[in-house]
Amino acid sequence: MKRSSFLFCLWLLSVFPVTSMAMAETLSVVSWGDTYEKAQNATIFKPFSISSGVTVNVVKYSGSIDGLVKRAESGGWDVIDMTEDQAIRACEQGLLIRLNPEEIIIPYRNTDIEEDFMPGSFRDCSIAHSVYSSVVAFDERAFKGEKPEQIADFFDLKRFPGKRAIRRDPSDILEWAMIAEGIPIRQVYDLLSTERGMRVAFARLETIRDQIVWWDKPQEAAKLLAEGKVSMAAGFNDGFFDLANEKNMPITIIWDAQIMDYAVWAIPASSKNIELGKQFIGFATTIDRMAELAEHIPYGPSRMSAFGRVGRHWKSQVQMREHLPNSSSNYKRALRRQSYWYTRTSALRHRRFNSWLRNRK
Amino acid sequence: MASLSAIGLVDTSEWINDLVLVSAFSRVQFDGAPWVLVLATIAVPTIGGAIVGLITTRLIRERRPLGPPDTIFAVQTRKKPPSLKSGIMSTIAALVSLGAGASVGQYGPLVYLGTLTGSLVNRIKFGIGDIQAVAISCGVAAAISTAFNAPITGLIFAHEVILRHYSLRAFASVTVASATGYVIANVIFDRPSLFRVEFAGVEHGYEFLLFAVEGVLAALLAVSFMKLILMSSALASKFPIRSQWLRPAIAGLILGIVALQIPEVLGIGKEALRFATIGGAFEINELAILVIAKTVLTALCIGFGFAGGIFSPALLIGILGGALFGMVWPILLPLDNSGIVPYAICGMMAVTSPVIGAPLTTILVVFELTRNYDLTIAAMVAVVFSNLVSAPLFGRSLFDRQLNNNFDFDLSEGRDKAILRLEYISKYMSQDYITVRADDNIATLKTTLAHHNRSEAAIIDSNGRFQASIDLQDVVELSDDTKLSQVKCPDKLTFDENTSLWDGFELVQNFIGESIPIVDSASAKLLGVITEGGIIAAYMSTVHELRREENETV
Repeated sequence: MKRSSFLFCLWLLSVFPVTSMAMAETLSVVSWGDTYEKAQNATIFKPFSISSGVTVNVVKYSGSIDGLVKRAESGGWDVIDMTEDQAIRACEQGLLIRLNPEEIIIPYRNTDIEEDFMPGSFRDCSIAHSVYSSVVAFDERAFKGEKPEQIADFFDLKRFPGKRAIRRDPSDILEWAMIAEGIPIRQVYDLLSTERGMRVAFARLETIRDQIVWWDKPQEAAKLLAEGKVSMAAGFNDGFFDLANEKNMPITIIWDAQIMDYAVWAIPASSKNIELGKQFIGFATTIDRMAELAEHIPYGPSRMSAFGRVGRHWKSQVQMREHLPNSSSNYKRALRRQSYWYTRTSALRHRRFNSWLRNRK
Repeated sequence: MASLSAIGLVDTSEWINDLVLVSAFSRVQFDGAPWVLVLATIAVPTIGGAIVGLITTRLIRERRPLGPPDTIFAVQTRKKPPSLKSGIMSTIAALVSLGAGASVGQYGPLVYLGTLTGSLVNRIKFGIGDIQAVAISCGVAAAISTAFNAPITGLIFAHEVILRHYSLRAFASVTVASATGYVIANVIFDRPSLFRVEFAGVEHGYEFLLFAVEGVLAALLAVSFMKLILMSSALASKFPIRSQWLRPAIAGLILGIVALQIPEVLGIGKEALRFATIGGAFEINELAILVIAKTVLTALCIGFGFAGGIFSPALLIGILGGALFGMVWPILLPLDNSGIVPYAICGMMAVTSPVIGAPLTTILVVFELTRNYDLTIAAMVAVVFSNLVSAPLFGRSLFDRQLNNNFDFDLSEGRDKAILRLEYISKYMSQDYITVRADDNIATLKTTLAHHNRSEAAIIDSNGRFQASIDLQDVVELSDDTKLSQVKCPDKLTFDENTSLWDGFELVQNFIGESIPIVDSASAKLLGVITEGGIIAAYMSTVHELRREENETV
């Protein structure tokens, strides 16, 4: 008797979360829209609905913390796809709940999840799922002979003339200016922390000032390049990949000194479906889901075991692994963005950048 | 082991730097709260100084931080290095100093950490004679090799600065230790190296002449740096403050106040080191001020008792000075040049080399870190000229001067003399001598001497004090009943318990007689005697021992 009632209890325990899941009809997942969202929809949201019976309600947002503050509660947000630095800031402001990866991540065989994920994937309130990067790409048509190979070439107008498309923002470009000065990648943030470092970076930027075409929305970078308005452009790797892969443009990415970022999952403190949200994150970070996502968009899975499963692009059949930021050859000279530093120095960098924009030497 | 602890020391001090807002990386993140920075800049080095002062005065028996001079002394004289506890406390003091941003270096403490590991290994009895020197050198080599990520440098440093001889036995073991340190640093932990520079090559022949000139100027800078350190120590000991532990705190306070204006003076200054090779990062006047500030403040920090080395400050002062030279000369002499990189690197090594007394090490470190042949040759020229100038002005290195001042151990005229000066003759004395009392008469003297078949005796007074040594020749013309106290003996050579083998050997050259009495300098009691032959034998055995060590195979 006793034994069977014990088993009954166990059965209840194991079934209960599933039934409670089924009762919560919808889960609001917030993402970035466009191609990215489409890819997530096909590889994560739909499969999740099928396996759990939960309707995933996809909400689009701009990625800013303001949006999180204003809309999370009223919009009933449950899970958010964020950039790491935003997640860190939101976490410090108490806008997110703390996550314990041990209870969320489903381990692959016997591998330790800490070792399976890329270093720094687990923060207090977030779990990294994808690696994307800021890179420089060039138009093959603009350089007939010698092709640019490293980041210093972006600043070399003599050997590689032409306009440069750069985001109107002090991110990435200051780091690249430092690396172009010959500073080792590991020391970039240490040196950029000094007044002198800022000065050196801006002096380097000054040398190409007249050739800069500024952009504000990420899609513009690839567009400027496609239209032949610039010969080199700084932007996110997925935009350039699309140009080359889907539109067959002669665009090449320079992986040297790529700046790597993590896209992370987080749960807002206002969520009413916290448990379900955690289950969603667990599902979204299983290796099959991660690998399939990387076959739609060139974002590398933050999980080693998933990286190994990435195959060909779902449509063009291009071998995807070599197009991911964290493939071994692309990763060699990557700069990993120091998100804490980034968050804390944001005001300073913007101040310096805006005054540089205003004051032409 | 030495290599691992070296990594530990460097990482921990950097971690503290970030924690207490010494590093630029952490400081910039407090951009919005300037008063936090001001407070931290002044308070951290001051409090750090007080802690270092307390550790040094309460917990280290020698009452000063330990460093390379202690290592050299232990290795050269085969004496036991200071105790394990002193060593550990000194390392902790260094950690606090570096962590709190004192303007001191990390390699001195690393060398001592290597010494500590080496002497720990030495405690395990291998049944091999005098392995201490080799064990310690291995520790030092591993620590330096790890810190610089440069195994050949570690190897040469251990020989040139610590061992001062090249025997196959030492060479083999030190090479293995150095390579191990490199493997741990580079392959297992993938540590970045100190600096990497892009440099195409020296473009004009006449620039080598300029490197030589730079070497001479660098020597002057190095000599002033070392003199300032010695002066600052002297000043500290005269400082009208009774509590010795407050001294580093005062240095810390001054450092903090200067750092409000020039933040680069804090810590080992790895950012400034990096910028020195980038043209346009510094203005000429900024460089000049920084060179002076760093030189003076480092001397202040070291002299006033912060625990830390002089190696990395010398590197920094040198590279900044070199960059300064590279920027100034083209203004005075408008010729084409290869940019400031070679001048910065040459300056760095030309200042460092006389400070640590290691020309070969500094030439090789350029080779290993830059892997650039042109730069190495340029550095070689500058280093040699620098050493040529500084040696007559100051001596071989600051370490050797400190050894001379603190231990009365002078290596400037070679190992032989230094070690012979430390060997006391009293160690070799014999008790085989004849004594007579001062109130005995000559007849007694004669019978005693005849009985023992000797011609010489020592006269002792009624209190047992040594009076003179008397020879049969002195008394031939005197009557038998003359009291010995009335005999006028010619002054003869005597030694005391502090007479070194070196001095004894020099003095004995004019000595005629059977044996030389060794008299206690305080009680005037006769301790024993030594014959001329005894001195020569002792001298030869010490020198032979040194030669044997230098030629040991395995």
